[in-house]
Amino acid sequence: MKKLARALFIAVSLTGCVVVPQNRRGRLADPLMTLHDDPLDEYRRQKVYTTREGAAGGDGASAGGGCSCQ
Amino acid sequence: MTRFFLALLFVCAWTSVARADDKEIDYAKILGPGASDALQITSVAMRLTAYSQEGFGYQSKAGPVQGPGSERLTVFEPQLEVRAKQGDRITHRVWIPVDIVTTASANAIDRGATPDVISNASQHNEAGSIDWTMQYKATDTTTLTVRSAAHLEEEFRSWLVGASVSQAFFEQNTVVTLGLQSSLDWFDNFELDGSRNGIKRRSTVTGSLAVSQVLSPTTIVEASYGVTTQAGELGNTWNIVPIAGETVDHEIMPATRLRHSIVARIAQALPWNGVLKGYYRFYADDWSIVGHTFEAQLLQHIGKSLYAGFGWRHHTQTGARFFTTLADPSMTLRTADSDLAPLDSDSFTGRLGIDVPRGREGTLHFDVAYERYVRTNDLSANVFTCSTAILF
Repeated sequence: MKKLARALFIAVSLTGCVVVPQNRRGRLADPLMTLHDDPLDEYRRQKVYTTREGAAGGDGASAGGGCSCQ
Repeated sequence: MTRFFLALLFVCAWTSVARADDKEIDYAKILGPGASDALQITSVAMRLTAYSQEGFGYQSKAGPVQGPGSERLTVFEPQLEVRAKQGDRITHRVWIPVDIVTTASANAIDRGATPDVISNASQHNEAGSIDWTMQYKATDTTTLTVRSAAHLEEEFRSWLVGASVSQAFFEQNTVVTLGLQSSLDWFDNFELDGSRNGIKRRSTVTGSLAVSQVLSPTTIVEASYGVTTQAGELGNTWNIVPIAGETVDHEIMPATRLRHSIVARIAQALPWNGVLKGYYRFYADDWSIVGHTFEAQLLQHIGKSLYAGFGWRHHTQTGARFFTTLADPSMTLRTADSDLAPLDSDSFTGRLGIDVPRGREGTLHFDVAYERYVRTNDLSANVFTCSTAILF
């Protein structure tokens, strides 16, 4: 757990090393570049997994594992 | 089934056509001076999804005694989402998902219907939620979000509240989000013969920390950690476990569960107008389940409006320490739920989307997708989905 906390701290510290100015972020504005899917699609995808895999949840998603409904 | 999916496609297409005849909404005319502080709808989206699942699991009674029973299941799931802004700082999101499920709940027990899938339970069930999220942009770099939701099923109720704060750093190249969410469920407790016996409760609290970072003009990454603690009845009360001696009995779950997950995501713009996305998730809990999930997604613009995508996801997990397909009567904890077994799964997704700019009337979005999900312990599902959205 300590190793994890240390790695997390280093990762967070390193993020400040990169600064891309706004006028060079045109490609990032492409809707396909979003890290998360459209919420409605994300919900239907997560539903497939959280209701069929016990290793779901723990990240804000619904609990899952235990029944085929929700 | 083919007719059903054709109808689904038709409904999606029809909703787009219907909106095309509408005129632009002039809020100033309708609401008068000061309209900038009034609610203005910024998008309306609808998604229709159909799941069709086949498979077998030992938690199901729909099979031979002590043998795996059927997990046949069909779900029809419409969702509606409306987003609105209120002035320059506040945005609202109201989301209503509805599930119409066959053979997955305890709903039909007291109607005397033929037992079907999971235990004596299930013929048909409807469930719905209403979820409201409000976001307040406190400063150019700080955003506060609050969320509340209620879920309603015939034998299940749930209430959820959550809040998060996001802080941007380094010219908005780095965004740190801290969130907390809590939910309370209460549901009917079922005996093996299908009769109800009081109410059970479950509470869930999730904390999360996420950091997203722009790495280059074409690359963005995110890392997040989440921890969830649960207490109360953690089963659904109607799953069964085969017991040595040719009988079956209830599953017995621990009263608490602590879950950890670490997620990493990356999106990389490609030189030929495409995007490659990667995802990895590590999961561990105190039921001895450890999971790894990998995902890759390739999206490609085709012309100005059209895009196509293909995705592959692989998941592997160990089983819960008390998972069994034939329990000794002395076991103090036991489950035969196939979701909690050691398993691997793969899913393949294909999608096609189109964005049609309509000048001052915004953009019309339409997409269709198909997903094939296959699990190693005898379960598979076909998922069809389509969506229509109007972005004003």
